[in-house]
Amino acid sequence: MTESQRKNIYGFTGPTAVALREKVGQGLALATLGGFRGLAANALMLEAHGAWEEQQWVRVRSALELATMLQPRVVVFWDMASWHLAWNAAVSAEQYSGESNETRRRMEARRWVEAGRDLLERGTKAVPEKAILFQRLGDLYWQRMGDYTSAARYYREALTKGDAPPYLERFVGYALDKAGDKKGALDYFRELRAKMGAAPDPLRRPEVVDREIQRLEKEILSTPKTGKIK
Amino acid sequence: MIGGTRRVLAVAGNTFLEAVRQKVFAVLLLFGLVMVGGANYFTEFSYQEQFKFLKDLGYASIGLTGLLIGLLGAAQLIPGEIERRTILTALCRPLRRWEFIWGKYLGLLFLLFVMVGVMSAAVWGVLHWKEGQLIASEGGDPAVADLIRAEARDPRMLQAVLLVGVKLAVVAALAVFFSTIATSTTFVVAMTLMVYLIGHLQSVAREQWLESGEATRWLVKSFLVLVSLLIPDFNLYNLIDEIVAGNAVHWKATLEVTGYSVVYIFILLGAATLAFEGRDI
Repeated sequence: MTESQRKNIYGFTGPTAVALREKVGQGLALATLGGFRGLAANALMLEAHGAWEEQQWVRVRSALELATMLQPRVVVFWDMASWHLAWNAAVSAEQYSGESNETRRRMEARRWVEAGRDLLERGTKAVPEKAILFQRLGDLYWQRMGDYTSAARYYREALTKGDAPPYLERFVGYALDKAGDKKGALDYFRELRAKMGAAPDPLRRPEVVDREIQRLEKEILSTPKTGKIK
Repeated sequence: MIGGTRRVLAVAGNTFLEAVRQKVFAVLLLFGLVMVGGANYFTEFSYQEQFKFLKDLGYASIGLTGLLIGLLGAAQLIPGEIERRTILTALCRPLRRWEFIWGKYLGLLFLLFVMVGVMSAAVWGVLHWKEGQLIASEGGDPAVADLIRAEARDPRMLQAVLLVGVKLAVVAALAVFFSTIATSTTFVVAMTLMVYLIGHLQSVAREQWLESGEATRWLVKSFLVLVSLLIPDFNLYNLIDEIVAGNAVHWKATLEVTGYSVVYIFILLGAATLAFEGRDI
């Protein structure tokens, strides 16, 4: 939500007050923190950091949930929180827990990954104007869930924001390719290359896009027509 | 008019000097500076988080120190003068009561602005030092070094300092108002703190009340309107959180909050003047 939208909807109130309003059912007392809410949120991040070092994942999660609730507009909190849950806690549950049953370990790991994803989804609603959380959501779907179609969707969403890094535009094509949609990936890269024009910005790495187009064309041509390429 | 202004400034200068000579304010300032310096120990995080922690603690230190200085300073304004009977010497001179109140407030405001200036310089110094430290350790890549510099030298920090300053000015005006009707310093401190807390709570409580659908009766609505008019909405200054978070906050929004604060200050000082005019000393 942009600042003007927020102002139109909520009137003459600060954005953090609005975020708190959304959570007010969880404790009006939080508002008494007043001007020192940032300090409280930082203390919770320190608490989460300490709990992470001790591998106490439930404590990590509750401290992170509270920190993001107190300061929902701080991107770095959502980013850090989802990384702790979807990567650190999930890997710990899968590889280092005392559970002997592998299926249970995997289920537990999956729960942590989903917790990280849910947190990031809330983050994208709290800070919808920035690319980074959409990008992280794409990374999470790609790296932790193997859902490349969703990853491509979130990378596309990130690219609609003004502050997406230039390399991210290629990630949509990579994700489509990984999802098995080689035709879609080829179309995407061709469209991207066309948008770059005759004198593209070197930061957008047009040579990499050209290489991907050639590779995909070759792969599609070399695949028998009875193949399963979409 | 010129004579009035001169008398107001004379009272303001006297109030400022009197406050500066008191050790308690120096101790508070030192406490604030130590808090700012202490913020530098969060080294286990990414540079964005480190800067966020530094800025949060910096602004909180300025806010807390300013709140204490404003409260204690204003609490001694009228009750202290009455206790020491120095107010009689002041008011038997050709000095109007409103000039006395405005002079006292301006003196206190000047003290607060000096304090905010000194502490902001300290915050800037700590950020600058952290910038050098982080560039030395992580800034091998010029792009990362640029990002670190942008975090440390964020021009929006000026907006945050302005917001902290005007918030303290409103708190000081509140305390001055209570000091004109109070007979003890405890009353001034307690009342100002109470209004400060209500000011932070009121917008959240009001929105919750309105959304729950309970505020349908005109009496309830009138009560809400009355509270929102009588008590400044201190949540407006939470724009500082947005600035620290690195989100865009337009100068227009900052200036709107400043304008809102100035209106409240004038209302509070007007009420203080009226209360003081009719008071027996």
